[in-house]
Amino acid sequence: MFEFELPDVGEGVAEGEIVAWHVEPGDRVEEDQVLAEVETDKAVVDLPSPVAGTVRELHAEAGDIVPVGDVVVTIDTDGDAGAAGETGAADETATDETAADEMAAGETAATGDDRGAGGGEDGAAGTGQVFAAPRVRRLARELGVDIGSVEGSGPGGRVTEADVRGAAESREDADSEPAVTRADSADGAEPKPAVRRVGDGEAAADRDRTLATPATRRLAREAGVDIDEVPTDRRRDGEAYVEPEDVEAYVEAREAAETAAEPTTGTGTAGAAPGATGGTGGATGDAEAVTTEPYRGVRRTIGRKMAESAFTAPHACHHDTAVVDDLVETRAELKPRAEERGVRLTYLPFVVKAVVAGLAEYPVLNTELDEEAEEIQYKHYYNVGVAVATEAGLMVPVVEDADAKGLLEIASEANDLAERARSRDLAPDEMQGGTFTVTNFGAVGGEYATPIINHPETAILGLGAIEQRPVAVEGEVVARHTLPLSLSIDHRVIDGAEAAGFVNTVIEYLENPSLLLL
Amino acid sequence: MVVGDVTTGTDVLVIGGGPGGYVAAIRAAQLDLDVTLVEKSAYGGTCLNHGCIPSKALISATDLAHRAGGAERMGIHAEPAVDLQGMVAWKDRLVRRLTGGVESLCENAGVSLVEGRAEFAGESRARIVHGGAGEGAESVEFEHAVVATGSRPTEVPGFEFDGERILSSRDALTLESVPESLLVVGAGYIGMELAGVFEKLGADVTVVEQLAQALPGYESDVAEVVRERAEELGVDFYFGETAQSWTERDEGVTVTTEREDGSATEFTAEKCLVAVGRRPVTDTLNLEAVDVATDDDGFVETDDRMQTSAEGIFAVGDVAGEPMLAHAAFREGEVAAEVIAGRPAALDNRAIPAAVFTDPEVATVGMTEQDAADAGFDPVVGQMPLRASGRAMTLDDTDGFVRVVADGESGFVLGGQIVAPDASEMVAELALAVEMGATLEDVATTVHVHPTLSEAVHEAVKGAAGHSIHY
Repeated sequence: MFEFELPDVGEGVAEGEIVAWHVEPGDRVEEDQVLAEVETDKAVVDLPSPVAGTVRELHAEAGDIVPVGDVVVTIDTDGDAGAAGETGAADETATDETAADEMAAGETAATGDDRGAGGGEDGAAGTGQVFAAPRVRRLARELGVDIGSVEGSGPGGRVTEADVRGAAESREDADSEPAVTRADSADGAEPKPAVRRVGDGEAAADRDRTLATPATRRLAREAGVDIDEVPTDRRRDGEAYVEPEDVEAYVEAREAAETAAEPTTGTGTAGAAPGATGGTGGATGDAEAVTTEPYRGVRRTIGRKMAESAFTAPHACHHDTAVVDDLVETRAELKPRAEERGVRLTYLPFVVKAVVAGLAEYPVLNTELDEEAEEIQYKHYYNVGVAVATEAGLMVPVVEDADAKGLLEIASEANDLAERARSRDLAPDEMQGGTFTVTNFGAVGGEYATPIINHPETAILGLGAIEQRPVAVEGEVVARHTLPLSLSIDHRVIDGAEAAGFVNTVIEYLENPSLLLL
Repeated sequence: MVVGDVTTGTDVLVIGGGPGGYVAAIRAAQLDLDVTLVEKSAYGGTCLNHGCIPSKALISATDLAHRAGGAERMGIHAEPAVDLQGMVAWKDRLVRRLTGGVESLCENAGVSLVEGRAEFAGESRARIVHGGAGEGAESVEFEHAVVATGSRPTEVPGFEFDGERILSSRDALTLESVPESLLVVGAGYIGMELAGVFEKLGADVTVVEQLAQALPGYESDVAEVVRERAEELGVDFYFGETAQSWTERDEGVTVTTEREDGSATEFTAEKCLVAVGRRPVTDTLNLEAVDVATDDDGFVETDDRMQTSAEGIFAVGDVAGEPMLAHAAFREGEVAAEVIAGRPAALDNRAIPAAVFTDPEVATVGMTEQDAADAGFDPVVGQMPLRASGRAMTLDDTDGFVRVVADGESGFVLGGQIVAPDASEMVAELALAVEMGATLEDVATTVHVHPTLSEAVHEAVKGAAGHSIHY
């Protein structure tokens, strides 16, 4: 038997959340087969099996946070005697023997065993068969209990209705309390902090694949819900399985959240139900005014790093505006050329190059403060982090050595990183080692913001939306394309004059894109 | 869409009105779904029209005549005269009554019945082609489809059914006169059942079988009882003979068979019945349009919820593979309908019983002793021969036995094999025991009526539990 301890799936990761199991007890696994998806502070990674064998037991459920080093799954390796899960095949050989004749009838009767409820694990005499009345098997399906894992209390180990109900209740109990209390270690590598969070879900799941009956799928379609977003604890064949009530619960939660988000116009006392003053009557009054979602994984990492940065580095902000008509023109000229080479050219690579130019002139913005050593570390390389909004929160993949790369190279690399950040396919090391960060909140809209520094870096540049805005030119107000810039600095290391100088340089490059040729 | 097509919409399109299809349709309608059932010829499918019911009618009728004529031992002297046309007409009447019953069950449940042949025209669209020329076609948009097109008799190359000389089981059930002699190719359940019928009707029946025993797939001691009884009736058996070709000769057929060593034999008979299995009917469906996967033998592949590889499309009954049994189709149809309606149904039966209506009957459920050992159990077996049954003696029918297989450790009943008159009825008790996870003691302490054949089941169970009384 092999006890598989949760490995350090990132660099210096202390714990991981089991997002989903891909196996269940009794399943046959090959070496390197994916057992589970684990979400760490940094990314969601696949957990491959180090051995081949048969899954004996899962020690954590989807949603549990497990410290590195804890046993998450035990596997009967191929050397073990009496590995479960193999016996089912025996029945079917009977079917194969049947000749080219209709006589298969009698023999195939046995194949029903194999289709037994829940795949059957710890049944009588270790044969992988479940003994339970049909009514009890149906109940197990209704309650979402894997009857194969229920210990039977009836004669000969037969599984009774009480056994199934007991299993369902104990599972609910287990669900309602945290399986693992987390050790609150604030250190552990340097996950990228988040600067901004876009979008707000209601604990929406984000699966690639969901099992559900056609009727359930239709229900979801009719409710306008993507079935891959419906949260569920159910598993069938190791995959998320959604029942109609899951869809309904999700729809209700979503509606409740929307109701709660609507501004209340009432003058009633605090605590009056939203909508109490409206004409919608009791319906909204019954809806939950507050819903909760777990503060975990990437969300919690973002929160912790935000707090660390905000309360460690005294932030000072510098705002300015670049008039970028030339840049708009240049980019429009280059865009088709880039497309010919299969690259989508945005403004971001121009900004990255301008930032590198600014950092070269003002190296103090490309630094890190080591308080313990009482040193300011100057980085002589330019790894520019690019904040990307994803459904799970903000991720900051890093474009390394941006000074040595051309516009197209930066464009294609940034596009690729952003795409993989959204699909959560980034490796942890792709989000490490940044020296300066750019955050493009303007992609969503707006002019100026107060970015939070990606600690332990010492500066971050926020980009507003490039739009035509009124600009005074020789006494006349004219419409020009402008790019609002918001720079936050760690005032312990950087002074306002340096910040302004840096921004001036960046503006100079953005307003005169030909300088980028130098 | 073809000009003139009419498009309608339905929640569930059921293709085929046999046991799998009509049950799926009725159950889905009970669960408040809008259901359209398309049948191209006759409601009730093979089972009601060309299989179970007509064959059992003829088996019972011929058996009655045969027993009445052979009961001198019981002091009965009779020579029943069989009027085959009258017998077939009686059979046809009850088939009509039953198919009419199915049709009205469907209608009463609110199922829309459409006559025609349905073929897929897209992921969620089917065309229904009506029978006669000029009747046109219509299209149905469906949310879910249930394929229940069943199976048809397998043709041996060179032995294409013509209904005159080379008969399918379906042809044999509608003959107007008893052939003087009948050659049956295939000693499977259909061949064995019909061999008995025609021998009892006075035909000279010969059975040739490719494999080494009758009822291949059943345990040899089970098959042996049936073959011996058939031989007593006058049926001749030739095993290891593969039918190769036939020629028409003197108002009859001469069939050439070949043994494994290459030697050829000729069999001459008035007619030749070919009963070598059944093949799924999928060629009418245009399955290519929906990406429904089939296995090497052409059966539609399904999971335990009867779901095919194409989302929203289900398959039940013979077309979905073994076991090709009407009662399996009933259950599958129910599961498919419930899954479509969003219920947590699955085909999770521990066993599906099977019966052969030979003389005596054979019925089995669950595991044989060998199956149980292979599955890792430590099987115990109890067997009661019918010659020790008082009731069997009073029926003057003592060939056969009841065998029960159980797990020695836990006592769970795992299966049973019954060879007896009315074995098909007796197996229900063992099926319930297997399905419930009953132990030997559960059945052994259940009181059984005396004198009945069911006592033989009781006695076999007690034997397996180690405390039989009467044997």
